[in-house]
Amino acid sequence: MRILGISAHYHDSAAGLLIDGLPVCAVEEERLSRRKNDAAFPLSAIEWCLDYAKLAPEDLDAVVFYEKPMLKFERILTMALRNFPHTWRSFPRAMKNALGEKLWVKGIITSQLGVPAKRILFTEHHQSHAAAAFYPSPYAEAAILTADGVGEWATLSLGRGSKQDGIELLRELRFPHSLGMLYSTFTAYLGFPVNEGEYKVIGLASYGKPSRANEVRKIVRRTKDGAFSLDLDYFDFHAAARRSYSPKLEETFGPARDPWEPLDLGSSDGMRFADVAASVQLVLEELLIDLARSLQQETKLEALCLGGGVALNSVANARLLRETGFKSLYVPCAPGDAGCALGAALWADRMHFKNPHRELPDHPYWGPAVDEDLGRIAREDGLPVLDLPDEAALVNRIADELAQGRIVGWMQGASELGPRALGHRSILAAPQDVAMREQLNRSIKYREEFRPFAPAVPVEHARRYFELPEGGERLGRFMSGVFPVRPEFRERLKAVTHVDGSARVQAVEEKTAPLFHALLTAYGERSGIPVLLNTSFNLAGEPIVNRSIEGYSTFRRSGIDLLVAGRTLVAKKEAA
Amino acid sequence: MGVRVAPSLFDRLLRPLHRWVWLDAHRRGKKLLRFAETEAAGGRDLVRAAELTEDALLRRLYLRHSQDEHRHAALFLGRAREVLQGATGEAFEANWLAPGERGFDDLRVGKQSQDALLAFLHLSEKAAAGRFALYRSLLSNDPQTRDLFGRILEDEAFHMSYTRSQLARISPRKQGLRLWQSRAGRIWKAYLRVATAIASLFGTILLTAQYFLVLPVFVLLAKRSARNEPDGFARSRGRGDLKSQH
Repeated sequence: MRILGISAHYHDSAAGLLIDGLPVCAVEEERLSRRKNDAAFPLSAIEWCLDYAKLAPEDLDAVVFYEKPMLKFERILTMALRNFPHTWRSFPRAMKNALGEKLWVKGIITSQLGVPAKRILFTEHHQSHAAAAFYPSPYAEAAILTADGVGEWATLSLGRGSKQDGIELLRELRFPHSLGMLYSTFTAYLGFPVNEGEYKVIGLASYGKPSRANEVRKIVRRTKDGAFSLDLDYFDFHAAARRSYSPKLEETFGPARDPWEPLDLGSSDGMRFADVAASVQLVLEELLIDLARSLQQETKLEALCLGGGVALNSVANARLLRETGFKSLYVPCAPGDAGCALGAALWADRMHFKNPHRELPDHPYWGPAVDEDLGRIAREDGLPVLDLPDEAALVNRIADELAQGRIVGWMQGASELGPRALGHRSILAAPQDVAMREQLNRSIKYREEFRPFAPAVPVEHARRYFELPEGGERLGRFMSGVFPVRPEFRERLKAVTHVDGSARVQAVEEKTAPLFHALLTAYGERSGIPVLLNTSFNLAGEPIVNRSIEGYSTFRRSGIDLLVAGRTLVAKKEAA
Repeated sequence: MGVRVAPSLFDRLLRPLHRWVWLDAHRRGKKLLRFAETEAAGGRDLVRAAELTEDALLRRLYLRHSQDEHRHAALFLGRAREVLQGATGEAFEANWLAPGERGFDDLRVGKQSQDALLAFLHLSEKAAAGRFALYRSLLSNDPQTRDLFGRILEDEAFHMSYTRSQLARISPRKQGLRLWQSRAGRIWKAYLRVATAIASLFGTILLTAQYFLVLPVFVLLAKRSARNEPDGFARSRGRGDLKSQH
């Protein structure tokens, strides 16, 4: 059975293909269109998936959209009515937005792909998240928690999954009460772009003290059944289109930061923003922990699968693993909406068509493979090119270069699904010096100084350098948890140790990423520590690179010293 | 090929309006911020053009051009911050008067032929250079911003020059035709944008009228149902019917 899953029209559109119950490929539209967070109908991603599997649209048994457009429209309309007359400005915009394209998904799929309407299915948004979180996990049974901004009505779902009996979502929290909206409102308040700047809030939080946590707790009231409700006096996202927080939020926490203002952590305002970030982060963690703990007590299960955009909060994930009673925690490589493309297809396959479960390959590399154009392109520009004879030679050469302090753009195999670069489209560097971090921020990533860089380490060495709890390696596999760097190694891992002594560790398994694992090992033989700084291969405002020409253009415009695609190595003239 | 940078007749006619627009510090700062965004977006378009071309010389030129645009974005942002720090209050903004380097046009890099893209870029750069020259002449009260435009103008002159010479290289016989097609395309797209904006305005008026005339009937029901909704969790909807969009 061939099922195509699609997510689109909010952010991070994607397509994924399932054949006989197993994922074959998946890619975000942005990687092909080169527009960051592309929300357009993912026609390029769909075409790539079908080409990859050598299928025509008519070969598909079903096309599954990741949410129910009419149900979502019902929520938008209902909120406009409930908040009448405050919604008079946002109503025309919301209607034009919905009526323009989002409501006609079935027609778009039919016209773009030529698939008969009867083969088009619609899962609920949180069903897609739940399936994306549970089915790829290694557990036969697990509790499921999904949380994001909003799908149709649900913003958070609790449930349980069994590979044999399927997924049962037990209860849900509904819009406007939303952990994702809480966090993104504070993201906007702190002057960062919503759906993109949440990572910055997490990074900033480590610089502050949660001194405003009580004030945040006041606006997130707990309900008798263990859920919560937002005090809507502090928010405007449910009624206004212009901004998501109300004047009352500014009265409580002080004036919001203008996005253009530099964030100076040496100033009182800068520290105020850091304290607010720390406070909202703490409250988010508390809420998640309470919800997960009660779910564990209710289900008595040992494993938790976490999905939705909130699952990208790696600091909260680590606490969930340590403090909720679950012995293991699984976060998929793409817990956000992009992962819903595969999630929707999986839900349809297991729950709708009742196909038996098949164990899924446990890796994040579902995208297009790197091409072989790099050598030709670089030679045309007169750059030195080296084609290395085998992987061993490649690994040794790159390990030598990294040990000498070079910054390497590293492209290997199929690209990752999801927002993390996990060793197939990565920028790699030595992790020892703060100077390296500053160089990366200044000449490559062009981003705020307070954002940390992540380390990658072979899984068998992870505990030596990082304080991982039980299940930490599993969480670190897709870089989904933040853990303390062991104090004795912090000096030698300065470039990847955050201000609070933590790091978002990637624990690399040999069977999942053999070449990257070999590189880490070879680097360890030279430096004494098999840890590399691993950051996504892109510049600010651009999607992660996909083809070698995109890696090459990034290499030419930044301070990267060496570029590797497959076994071809290109150096800048001064580094050759 | 000679490069002449001069404001267009339209912009010259609007000179008093442009002077008024640039007079207020807050508005000036916001405008510079907008230019920073436009330059950064233009830089990304050029990166895409570099990635898509098979012509090595063009690739190098596009990459250099994109780096210039990113540098301009940083310069505009830096100056905007300085201007805004000293400015107070909100001033009325008239961004439609100065939409930035790409004007009202929307660049679709992957959908244009190489010569059409060069013609488009040449005209965009020419228009931007003319406008920047006008702004420079208006900013006697803000010498730092005036000098910034002066520095950026030097790059714009190079961009105008290389796009024109490369168009002549790539399409020696049809270069004139491509430029005229591009001019016509800019006018057509500007018309479409204006028409879309007018249609959108009509849509807003109609929807707002419906909001106040039709919706109130249902508001009471919606508010009552909201009051009856219990706090906290609700039961999930179950497995549902995947054929339904609701």
